[in-house]
Amino acid sequence: MPDASPPRAPAAPLFPFQRTSPFDPPPQYAAARAAGAVCAVTLWNGKRAWLVTRHEDIRRVLSDDVRFTSRMADPDFPAITPARVSVDRNERAFVGMDNPAHDAYRRMFTREFSYKRLQALTPQIRAIVDRLLDDIEAKGPPADFIPEFAIKFPSLVMSALFGSPYEDHEFIIRCAAARHGLTQSVEDAEAKGRELAAYVRRLIDAKEAVPGDDMVSRIIEEHVKPGRLSRDDFAEIGAMILRAGHDTTANMIGMGVLLQMQNPPLRDELRANPALIESFVEELLRYVSPVQFSPRRVAREDVEIGGVTIPKGEGLFMLLASANRDEARFAKPDELDPHRDASHHLAFGYGIHQCLGQMLARFELAIAFERILERLPALRLAVPLEQIRFKHDMQIYGLHNLPVTW
Amino acid sequence: MVTKVRVDQDKCIGAGHCVRAAMEVFDQREEDGIVVLLMDEVPPDLVAKVRKAEALCPAQAIRIEVTD
Repeated sequence: MPDASPPRAPAAPLFPFQRTSPFDPPPQYAAARAAGAVCAVTLWNGKRAWLVTRHEDIRRVLSDDVRFTSRMADPDFPAITPARVSVDRNERAFVGMDNPAHDAYRRMFTREFSYKRLQALTPQIRAIVDRLLDDIEAKGPPADFIPEFAIKFPSLVMSALFGSPYEDHEFIIRCAAARHGLTQSVEDAEAKGRELAAYVRRLIDAKEAVPGDDMVSRIIEEHVKPGRLSRDDFAEIGAMILRAGHDTTANMIGMGVLLQMQNPPLRDELRANPALIESFVEELLRYVSPVQFSPRRVAREDVEIGGVTIPKGEGLFMLLASANRDEARFAKPDELDPHRDASHHLAFGYGIHQCLGQMLARFELAIAFERILERLPALRLAVPLEQIRFKHDMQIYGLHNLPVTW
Repeated sequence: MVTKVRVDQDKCIGAGHCVRAAMEVFDQREEDGIVVLLMDEVPPDLVAKVRKAEALCPAQAIRIEVTD
């Protein structure tokens, strides 16, 4: 009976939205923050999902493991593409788990990413940066900074830390792209997921036979041999670590170098005062927020956020890029200002699932920028900005190319 | 006025913000990266750093108590 039905809400817009500026999130995010705590959207499959857009609300949801689940295998888990549905259902690493299982697995890996352990790696990381800059200088200008530096650098670091042979990095990046794209087929995403886990599984066997000074060998000794961690579970977690370690840092370096080249006063200030680079890295993470459609949650019960009830079983997207431009938390949020304290940004998420590799990323970014500023002071774009291809087609934002000269 | 800091090792996820913010007060266990306290009474010159650690901890595993 039509008369008895409740008044119909306006149709929820289709998500995701398009950017109108390559350096800013879609304008709908600011509109959503102003309009209310949460915003209903429609996904590609016709399902409704909720965008959480304010800093405070995202922190609250990500701290609440009682009323929200992170279980990616949950049939209601919201997915941005058909391929992502399949990726989520096949996720076996702790990123897709709730507690207590999440913490039990994560704790086997946290020491590898502890602050002091990574700090001790900084001379090694600096040497990798300098070697790559030697190669770039020896070849001479112009260079595409994405393949020549931004991709090679974190790959070399992960190779040294994790124990994956460097020559495999292009394969690993192809596997990451098949998961992080917005247009890939379900078959490709599934196949690349399986291939990367199988690759890590073979690496585990190889390191078990011939151990090295690397993460895989240490985890085998500490957790696999005593029977706490199966080889197959380790392979899935290792695949997650490899994908994250190769893709996200590369994207941040590309965006960071481009933004410095576009802003000569900023670049000159960072070069003159390297002590400012640490806070610049935090500000850059805030400003760029490369992870666009995660974290996600499903409401385990009806939950009210800012006066709106999210029904049990519906999915939520935490828009980190929106939280990091929230006027209520950051003054003049659309300005890139290395002098602000941006350390409470949410670029790495929040709560128990906050990025495992975040401290490594911070060291990598700070060291890379410091060395690039010193060694290539005249670095500039070799093409007009219009020829830079931004990753509008990926779930992790960044650059496909960055032709530079000096 | 005495500032005391407490940590909840069951909540800790080993993100490392506390060590980064206040290395004099916090450390991470060698075996699993979980927080350990190097002192429980915070000298006045470290209070700001410890407050930052408390604010940034993603697992909300740090508590500060101020007593007279």
